Amino acid sequence: MPVIKAEHLSKRFGKKVLAVDDVSFAIESGTITGVLGPNGAGKTTTLRMILDLVRPTAGSVTILGSRYRDLRTPAARVGALLDSSGFHPGRSGRNALRVIATGAGVSNARVDETLALVELEGAAKRAVKGYSTGMKQRLALAAALLGDPEVLILDEPANGLDPEGMLWLRTFLRKLATEGRTVLVSSHVLAEVEQTVDDILIMSRGKLLAQGPIHELTASTQPVVRVRSPQAEKLEAALLSSGAAVNRLNDALAVRGPSAAEVGDIAHAQGLALHELLTEQPSLEELFLQIAGTRREQ
Amino acid sequence: MIALARAELLKLRSTRTALGLFIVVLFVTLVPLTVLLIAVPKDWLETDGVSGFLSTASALVPLVLLVFGILGMTNEYRHGTITYSYLVTPRRWQVMAMKLVVYAIVGIVTMLIAVALVYVVIRAGGAIRGVQIDASGGATLGDYARQIVVAGLITTFGVALGALFRAQVVTVAGVLIWALAVENIIVVLKPAIGRWLPFTVFNAVSAGQMTGGGSGSVTTDLLTRPQAFVVSLVYIAIVSVAAIFISLRRDVT
Repeated sequence: MPVIKAEHLSKRFGKKVLAVDDVSFAIESGTITGVLGPNGAGKTTTLRMILDLVRPTAGSVTILGSRYRDLRTPAARVGALLDSSGFHPGRSGRNALRVIATGAGVSNARVDETLALVELEGAAKRAVKGYSTGMKQRLALAAALLGDPEVLILDEPANGLDPEGMLWLRTFLRKLATEGRTVLVSSHVLAEVEQTVDDILIMSRGKLLAQGPIHELTASTQPVVRVRSPQAEKLEAALLSSGAAVNRLNDALAVRGPSAAEVGDIAHAQGLALHELLTEQPSLEELFLQIAGTRREQ
Repeated sequence: MIALARAELLKLRSTRTALGLFIVVLFVTLVPLTVLLIAVPKDWLETDGVSGFLSTASALVPLVLLVFGILGMTNEYRHGTITYSYLVTPRRWQVMAMKLVVYAIVGIVTMLIAVALVYVVIRAGGAIRGVQIDASGGATLGDYARQIVVAGLITTFGVALGALFRAQVVTVAGVLIWALAVENIIVVLKPAIGRWLPFTVFNAVSAGQMTGGGSGSVTTDLLTRPQAFVVSLVYIAIVSVAAIFISLRRDVT
């Protein structure tokens, strides 16, 4: 049984804004799933509908087999990081967590444990208004972990994190997944989650464009042949005349269509020297652009 | 529900808002009272009129509590803490109901402290000045009790209004303008309508104490105390139910 199951989920704000449009997906247990898409894609609204904070206009969503509001002790089963600004600025980090923990029936010892987990023990007594964005983000992550939940829903968790913080987050998410937890993480910075997630949901303009294991989706898309030549202009012309799609930057070309061997043959036939020739699977960003572009054309 | 109540109380204890409330309550009650106790001639202090006036030193406390109730709810939306409240307790009516109850209790306790402080300070002031002052100003225990109950009701009223309107500055400003100006104007111009308006009704419940008078209706313009008490409960019920209903349907974005 999927941990999270959304069926024909839609959300309309007012009459004009259709934030989420007929989205269906299933998240399996023990995976890290990335919800990817640009700002305004409907990622946050979808996550908030899972957590019953936003009521769907149509469709339904269940988590751990029931609606979020019907879960007994929800904080012990689902942890959520939605917004690093969800803390009273005058409250200390520790007290901010204690308020949540008290309502959830979680002990103060666990509060200290999670503060240590996100490496905020040193700042626990400081007011949240004195925290950097990255510290607030860590505090929000601590809040999500308070109940030691089996499912984590994280909305843009890397916002405000420096490169060191992002590396820390990636390692942390991996550790959570190896513990058997299910993680649903959204991001608009695709490269940021590329090395972290197992499965992806790609959203754009409220619609779900693609879903599945990341390696399957990237394998199903066209690879890119990278080629460098001191006669790049001539090579570009030859490739274009053969029907390939080419992007050129100085002496480097990115070629879609022919294989690396075919590109080599074309260069050889024209008597052009090559300094580099390799095949690359598209990055998540390129995958997104391909999928979004294809859907728009349709 | 007990965990929810404890969380609400911790929210109050862990910021300076509650401390601010206490300081404001002390300021609006004890500062004018102390000044009067020092400045008023000795022989005046012994008159019923002056002692009755001194005993109303806590009259502004319900207004402070009203604002406190509004802040208690609107701060949740302003700082986004409502998200965690609903994540921990997704049955939103429980969050709202507990907040209304906790704030009612805080209002009652605050008023109790204010009334007790006024009583003690008047007695102490009289002893220091060497005069006998009737610290109750002629009020009975029943008058005190009504005053304290109204404080609880008004704090709850503030919470419910805060939940209905959410925008902090607009709600505080709007409610104060209504309570201090608009409603008074209506009471003067159209007393038949004015006597049914919320803050006039709250005032009618505790009016005996506020004016140093006895039991029964204080003026012909106000509702009688039993009527006013029932109408005030109806107001609280309507606004609270509306606040809970809207909270259930509202998207937290």
